Amino acid sequence: MTYALQLAVAGIAVGSVYALIALGIVLIYKCSGVVNFAQGAYAMVGAYLTYALINLGLSAVIAVIVSMAIMAGLGILTERLILRPMLKAPVVAVMMVTLGLLILSQAICLAVWGPDQIAFPALFPAGALEIAGIFMTYNYVATGFLSALLCVTFLAFYRFTPIGLMQRCAADNSRAALAIGIHVSNQVSIAWAMSAALAGLGGTLLATLNGLSLGLADIGLIAFPVIVLGGLSSLGGAFVAGLVLGVLQSFTDGWLTPSLEDFLRAHTRVYSVGALQQVVPYALLVLMLLVRPEGLFGRRGTERV
Amino acid sequence: MSARSLVLAIAVTAVMVAVSLVVGRFQAYLITIVAIASIGALALNLLIGACGQISLAQGALLGVGAYAAGNFGNAGLDVFSIVAAGLTAALISALIGLPALRLRGLYFAIASLAAQAILEYLFKTIEPLTHGISGLVIKPMTLFGVPLVTDQGYAALSLVILLITWLFMVWVMRTNIGRAFLVVRESEIVARGMGLDVARTKMYAFLISGFFVGVAGALMGFTNRLANPEAFGLQLSVDYVAMIIVGGIGSWGGSIIGAAFVVLLPELIQRLGEALNIPNILSALREMAFGLLIIIFLIFEPRGLVALIRRLTLKVTGSNAANVGQKDRLEPQSANRRR
Repeated sequence: MTYALQLAVAGIAVGSVYALIALGIVLIYKCSGVVNFAQGAYAMVGAYLTYALINLGLSAVIAVIVSMAIMAGLGILTERLILRPMLKAPVVAVMMVTLGLLILSQAICLAVWGPDQIAFPALFPAGALEIAGIFMTYNYVATGFLSALLCVTFLAFYRFTPIGLMQRCAADNSRAALAIGIHVSNQVSIAWAMSAALAGLGGTLLATLNGLSLGLADIGLIAFPVIVLGGLSSLGGAFVAGLVLGVLQSFTDGWLTPSLEDFLRAHTRVYSVGALQQVVPYALLVLMLLVRPEGLFGRRGTERV
Repeated sequence: MSARSLVLAIAVTAVMVAVSLVVGRFQAYLITIVAIASIGALALNLLIGACGQISLAQGALLGVGAYAAGNFGNAGLDVFSIVAAGLTAALISALIGLPALRLRGLYFAIASLAAQAILEYLFKTIEPLTHGISGLVIKPMTLFGVPLVTDQGYAALSLVILLITWLFMVWVMRTNIGRAFLVVRESEIVARGMGLDVARTKMYAFLISGFFVGVAGALMGFTNRLANPEAFGLQLSVDYVAMIIVGGIGSWGGSIIGAAFVVLLPELIQRLGEALNIPNILSALREMAFGLLIIIFLIFEPRGLVALIRRLTLKVTGSNAANVGQKDRLEPQSANRRR
């Protein structure tokens, strides 16, 4: 029981980072109809920027905030320079341009910081918290808490503030939004800025858990099972699905894989099932698409705005 | 295809084969990798360009071809191991295509991303067939009992198979199946209205495309003599989509130009780097150039090199015969709409 709780807590911590990245993808999709494969790149670049800023001698909090601001700027730049000229392009072209962006930013990080994993400076104090027999390092607690908090704040912002309302208008029906005086293209830029900043923070938090490397960009791909599970157009769904997948991965890693391997060793000549936790989300994705393509929380017939 | 262009295609291939048999090993190697990539790009262009199904599982499917060819070849299936690899990949491709029967555009692209991840995992895990992370060592291919060991031989073989693939693609687009692909790409509802079986049409596209991807993968396996999971990652899928975008979506000639471009670009940058003596940031530079090129192409010439070349020749010759302003062959708005 304690072990299960332990796994659940670790899963929620990682899952809330997934949710943070997935929220960004959903936001961009809702506002501009672009499925952004480069969200992982934002996470990676954000983490490297934080690292560079801390190395310049800034304190951790300021470094994180500055790097989020820079990421927001990069998000706007991406939207204005790359996506806007492609407004009328076919879906495959838009998808591909974001993949090109992913390749480009990985190459730039590779050129600047090299291919090796870098130890990320500690943002949170070392040590662990113990509640009812469950051990959690401060890293996990802080990461999980911060990203969950940010997700909820973001959802509330979207729901209750005037800018959030304008965002929803622009996403729901851009022509009607224009008619009532909302500057839709600015709203789209704001959406890109927010989701790039969120992804940058998510990447930084993930780097405190797993170290800093080019592999951080992979989280942009793991986010796809999350958004399909939650529904491509549902922000709340992305949050819930992120947590669910995090916990699922954690249980697969800590419980399913060992018991499956024990079983296989006893009955067959197969000794290892490999990194099963990495494919479980994708298997779930395929299943979800076959059974209920609109996701758990999505609406049927959602279309590109 | 008119008789004239048929003769032309065969003649060009014959000349290329003759050239590839006399050039040095490195040149032969370059011809081989371009020819193999062209086969893969033609197959992907059938799926994406003609039928409108965006797939990101190309890399894994090439892997299926390579592993299958390795296993069949090592078991002594001779030249038929290439065909067997094609059939295996066609089967897997049809499986990957199953979600596409219900989903459209973007959703299928995401489903194929999942297929890519799952296949990569299987390459690492099914040790009896794939030898896991260390990779499967593949014996040289035998051509009716004669082992094929020279690079020149593989170049000639790849060129011949490329010709066959090209002819098949041109032929299939002239049949009713090919025309059905185009209708499905433009609008599934119209296709149904015309009495076409949309699901079956898509399945044909996945089977045909999968077969030739498998053949390309088999050739990759035989030329590398090794199939390991790292080589068939998402990166490779992206490379192939880049090929048909840089070359021209829905254009057979474009597939080959794009394949040559994407395959030779790293080699070129490698040379440049060696000449300028900056070897340590070479790989970064290569990726940077690749990413930038994709972005620039998509923004400024979404119809690819083929359209660029056509426009340039028009400017030079001043004729107005070719249809330059041809509209995008992929539907812009409805491609990601679900039923």
